[in-house]
Amino acid sequence: MKINQQTTEDTLTLSLDGELDASSSVLLDTELTKPEVLDYKKVLVDCQRLNYISSAGLGVFISHLQRFQDANVKLIFFNMQEKVHNVFEILGLDALMTIVPSEAEATAL
Amino acid sequence: MPFRQKLKAIVLPFTVLSWLILLISTLLHASPATAESLGLPPQWVTLLAQAAFVAGVFVYQRSQPDPLRGTDFVGLLRRLVLGPGLLATVCVGLHLLERLIEFRQPTADRTLFACVYTINLGLFVVFLAYTNYSWRSLVLFRSSARLRRDWQWFELLLGGTLLFRLFAWTPPVPVAYFILGGLAVFGVYLSGNQKWVAYLNRRQKWEVVFMQLALLLCLGIFTIYFLRIAQDPKLVAPAPQHAFLLLTVFFAGFYSLAGLLVTFFNLPTAGVFEQKRDEILSLQRLTQLIQKGQTEEEVYQMLFEAAIQTVEADAAWLDIENEGQLHPAQLFNVSTEHTQAIRTLLTDYNLGQIEYLNNDLPNSSGFRSLELPYGSLIVMPMRSAKRQYGALYMLKEQRQSFDRENLGILQTFTSQTVLSIENLQLVAASLQNERVKEELKIASSVQDSLIPKDLPIDNWFEIGSHALAAKEVGGDFYDFLHLPGKRLAILIGDVSGKGITAAFHMAQMKGIFHALMQENPLAKDEREKFPVPSKFMSMANRALTHCLEKSSFITAALYIVDYEHGGFVFARAGHCHTLYYHSIKEEVSYFRTAGLGLGIIRNDSYEKHIKNQFYDYNPGDVMVIYTDGIVEARGANQEEYGEERLKQMLEHTYYLEADEIKQQILDDLNEFSKGQPMHDDQTLLVIKFKAAQPEATI
Repeated sequence: MKINQQTTEDTLTLSLDGELDASSSVLLDTELTKPEVLDYKKVLVDCQRLNYISSAGLGVFISHLQRFQDANVKLIFFNMQEKVHNVFEILGLDALMTIVPSEAEATAL
Repeated sequence: MPFRQKLKAIVLPFTVLSWLILLISTLLHASPATAESLGLPPQWVTLLAQAAFVAGVFVYQRSQPDPLRGTDFVGLLRRLVLGPGLLATVCVGLHLLERLIEFRQPTADRTLFACVYTINLGLFVVFLAYTNYSWRSLVLFRSSARLRRDWQWFELLLGGTLLFRLFAWTPPVPVAYFILGGLAVFGVYLSGNQKWVAYLNRRQKWEVVFMQLALLLCLGIFTIYFLRIAQDPKLVAPAPQHAFLLLTVFFAGFYSLAGLLVTFFNLPTAGVFEQKRDEILSLQRLTQLIQKGQTEEEVYQMLFEAAIQTVEADAAWLDIENEGQLHPAQLFNVSTEHTQAIRTLLTDYNLGQIEYLNNDLPNSSGFRSLELPYGSLIVMPMRSAKRQYGALYMLKEQRQSFDRENLGILQTFTSQTVLSIENLQLVAASLQNERVKEELKIASSVQDSLIPKDLPIDNWFEIGSHALAAKEVGGDFYDFLHLPGKRLAILIGDVSGKGITAAFHMAQMKGIFHALMQENPLAKDEREKFPVPSKFMSMANRALTHCLEKSSFITAALYIVDYEHGGFVFARAGHCHTLYYHSIKEEVSYFRTAGLGLGIIRNDSYEKHIKNQFYDYNPGDVMVIYTDGIVEARGANQEEYGEERLKQMLEHTYYLEADEIKQQILDDLNEFSKGQPMHDDQTLLVIKFKAAQPEATI
């Protein structure tokens, strides 16, 4: 699992590369827990190279969901593979989180 | 030893008696007046008493326990000097007293003189016996069997000389010289056994030298006394056992002298011996630390202290590697600036982390510029095949202070330390492993106890079930509950997380299920007596709000089957979609309903995210309920089993019995994921609805 970061003035883009399982979700949690993350207006998550997400990985996003909402930071997923999207959908997360097809749409939001 | 004790019990009174006879006989000889009235004892009585006394004292001393305790040589000598030394003082004291009395009241009476003489003779014999048997302990210290045999011969031959005087036989001169000389040479040969000296440290050696001198002094006092007495005209007693006493005095004196010399000449090398001994002891201490299971810090500390002590370094420090960075863990007489300067210099010379000895720092240009107060340096890296642990730096003020041996011993120290550290790490890892294993055992036994052992049986449906826990224990669970009015509640779920935490949440979920599925006595109509699945989910979500940690959630699906009316209602809270075979439409499809997992939203808005789905079933319909461990099982190329393949399996097997359908699916799944590790629990329930049958047939 690799996490690449890219920042513009008000946007933080995290690109996830690999499988987000119990061990790699700790990395992601460390990134998202950093206080400066809440300084951005938007946090975009590029899921193009995300091949698999375990319940621990989902748990990381879920645990930060409320915190982001309270700080008025938008959490947007894009470029999600079909099978990963399926996992989000089964759990019902597609109704709670913003998942869009492309980066253009994500930045436009 | 009972025999030895018996012997002692006999010998002691026998010896005392002999001495008394000797005393009386001497006194009679000294005072003719008394002798006239009592009669002079024959010569042989005196001689026999004399020989018996000497033999008795030696035999008694021989039967005493070994005076040497362990390797306490100094203690042995101290007792020897104190005991017999006291005897010598008494001897001198008595002699002076006697002289004093005689000086004040000159008399021709020789009784007192004879009395003192006999007492002193007794003391001298005791002194010799004690000394000789102390020497025996030293001679025989770690000795060979041959030496022990030699010693016995020496004792036997020495005892033989007692007989000379007893039979009043004086051997002709050359024979006497031959016998005495031969035994003296034997004594000299035995005196060569001074192995014990090597076990003394420097301080002890000095003590021993002084004690040997004191002992020789005592011996000298006795000898001079008896030599003088022998010429005293007052002496009327028969001469003592010359040959025997001469030989024992010679042996005692010679052994003492030899010991003194050996010890004395060993003094200059004592330091080297001690150093070697310290090295061995330090190594032993280091080794013992492994077994005691101390911490890494203590092992490093131990190494550091042992190394400084052994090479007698004037300054030293120990670098420990931590996350790729070297930092000094231990410092001794050296400043942090100096350590940094030396380390940087060595790295510049490409000498960092290799074994390095420089005995002439002021002549190396790099070191000269640092203006260090040191002349010699050793760097000893600590490393194993796997990794680098750090390095040990030893400094001395003088140039040419370290030698190759120092390097060798430090190498042994560091490799021993690395071994200890790796051992400690292994122990820690295996302990952790053990703990995790134990936890998993508990978790799986909890999980096992939560899964219902008996499936509900009725003639309206069939159920086939399968539950397999992964090694790490996921969080799968399912449960059944019969409700009044031919209704059956089925709950399936999956707790996120693994191990004991997951098992704990499963137990919670089971408790919530049984608590909420209770009949509400206040309900106005039949339908409100039990919560509908969506209501159940929102109540469960609220119940879980405070006991589930933030990143954990639970997926679940609750089905309430009403087999009186041939229908069911269910709600899916983020759980896998239900696979269904419709017998009338003859098609297999998933119920794709919306529904959010439990514990994701922790407020009342959850109700908006959960829906009920009603369905009227027909006989022959098949419902497949499962957890993600089934559809996410990996194949050889890491691809997932998937919903599609599961669906195809039901399309091929729907006509079979529930148990057979379950078995076919599992066989296919196992074929698919053959040789792959199982990552998650797998749970599969197959329910096949049947046509209503009259109850009477039961």
